[in-house]
Amino acid sequence: MDVRNVQTSSSSKRDPRRPLRVAALRFPLQATMLTIAVVATARAENTDVGTVSEKEVQAKLAYCEVCHGVSAQGFHGYYPIPRLAGQPTEYLKNQLQAFVEHRRTNNIMFNVGHVLSPAMIDALTTDFNALNPKPLGGGPTEPVAEGKKIFENGVADANVPPCASCHGPEAKGNGPFPRLAGQLYDYIVNKLTNWDKERGQNPEKPDTSALMQPIAHSLTQPQIKAVAAYVSSLE
Amino acid sequence: MSAAWSESVRPLKKAFWSCSPTGGEGRMMLPKHRAHETIRRRSALFVAILTIVLAGGGWGQYAIAASSPDVQAKLSYCKDCHGPSAQGYRGYFPIPRLAGQQPAYLENQLRAFIERRRTNNIMFNVAHSLSPSMLAALAADFHALNPPPIGGAPQRLVATGQKIFQDGMPENNIAACAACHGPGATGSGEIPRLAGQLYPYVIKELTNWGKERGQNPTKPDTSAIMSPVAHSLDQEQIDAVAAYVSTLK
Repeated sequence: MDVRNVQTSSSSKRDPRRPLRVAALRFPLQATMLTIAVVATARAENTDVGTVSEKEVQAKLAYCEVCHGVSAQGFHGYYPIPRLAGQPTEYLKNQLQAFVEHRRTNNIMFNVGHVLSPAMIDALTTDFNALNPKPLGGGPTEPVAEGKKIFENGVADANVPPCASCHGPEAKGNGPFPRLAGQLYDYIVNKLTNWDKERGQNPEKPDTSALMQPIAHSLTQPQIKAVAAYVSSLE
Repeated sequence: MSAAWSESVRPLKKAFWSCSPTGGEGRMMLPKHRAHETIRRRSALFVAILTIVLAGGGWGQYAIAASSPDVQAKLSYCKDCHGPSAQGYRGYFPIPRLAGQQPAYLENQLRAFIERRRTNNIMFNVAHSLSPSMLAALAADFHALNPPPIGGAPQRLVATGQKIFQDGMPENNIAACAACHGPGATGSGEIPRLAGQLYPYVIKELTNWGKERGQNPTKPDTSAIMSPVAHSLDQEQIDAVAAYVSTLK
C-alpha cells in the first residue's frame, strides 16, 4: 500500500524535460520495491515453520547484537566474535544447527542456538543477511596484497584452490559457502588454524565443513594471516 | 603537553645548553676551532637526547618507569581508597578492585571520568590531573597486582550466578557474560576483569548502568554495549552474577 503511494507520487512529479533524472529516481524505487517484495516473500514462508512476533524478533536481534556488534559487524570480546552482517541465510542456518547438534563445538552458541524456533531462525538469518555495515577493521595491512593473490589464484604448489572459486570473487559467499568479506581478521586466523578441532565434531553427522578441512590444513600460518588480512578489508 | 613532560626534559635541556658555545656565561669568547668542536658535540648530544625521547614511543607518550617516585607516590594515594593491594575496599561507597584489571579498561575509565562520560565527582577530581604517561604507568601497575578477592558475598547465590555468567539465559535474551568477559572473568582490552570484583560494587554498577555511564552525548562510548544487558537482568539475577564473579580469583 505504501509502495503504491510512493509510486504514484513519483509519477505525478515526472517532468518530461528531465527524463534522465526520473530514470535515476525510478531505479532505486524499483530496487526498493523488489527488496520489499523479497522480504515479504521470506516472511510469508515463515508460516510454514510456525510464527514469531516482530517484537520477539527485535528483542532477539538486540540480544544477538550485544556480542556480535550493533550492526552485526562483529566484535572483539574475550574471543573474536564474528561478523554476521551480509552472511548468506543458508550458511547461518547451517551453523546454528551445527551448534545445536554439536557438530561445531561452542558452548555459548549451543546455549544460544538450541532455544531458537525454526521461525525465529528464519527471521534472524534474513535480517542479518540484509545488513551491510563497513568492516570492523583492525587487521594488518602489510599482508593484504599477498592475501589477495592467494584468494584469487590459490597456491597451486600446495594444492590450495583459489578461495574465490567457492566464496566468490568479492568473498560475498553463496548458499552454504560463507561470506568472508569484512569478517574479523583474528576470527578467520583462529578458524583456519583450528578448523577440525571445532568443526565436523559429530561423527554421526558429517557435514560441509569437511570441504574446507584439507584446504585449511594446506595453508601455512603466514598464508592464513595474509588471506585473513585481505578478506577482513573487503566491503 | 603536560607539566610532567616539561619537568622530565628540563635536565636534558640543561645538559644541551651547557654544551652550547654561546649559551653559557663566559663561553662567548671561545676560539673558533673550539666552538666548532663544541657544536659537533652539541649536535651529537641533541641526537642522543632525541633518540632517548622518541624511544619512549613518541612525543606525548614517553614512558615513566614504574619505579619512579612520582608513580609510587601516586599509587599509594590510589591505594588509600582502593585498598593496599588494590583489592577493593568498602568505604562509604563500595570502592572497586583495580588489581588485575585490564590496562585499556583502566585508561578508558579514567578518561571517561575526565570527559564526564562517566559521572563520579571524586574520580573526576582524581583523574583530571593525571598525565597520559602517569595514567599508563598506573594502569600497568594495577594490572600486575593479584591479591585474593576480598569476598563477603552470600554463597547461596553463587551457583545461579555461575550459570548466568557462563551460559546466559537465552530464553530470556540474557547474554552469557563469558562471551566478552572470558570464562575466567578476566576481561580483555577495553572489556573489564570482573573476577574478584566487590559484590556490592557489581550490583551498584549493573543496577545504575545507564545513570552513571555514557553520560556525555557528544562522546558515545563502549558502555553502550552493556546497557541492554544490564537492563535485561532482574535484581535477583544481578545479585547472583555479582556473587559469582566476586568469588573468582
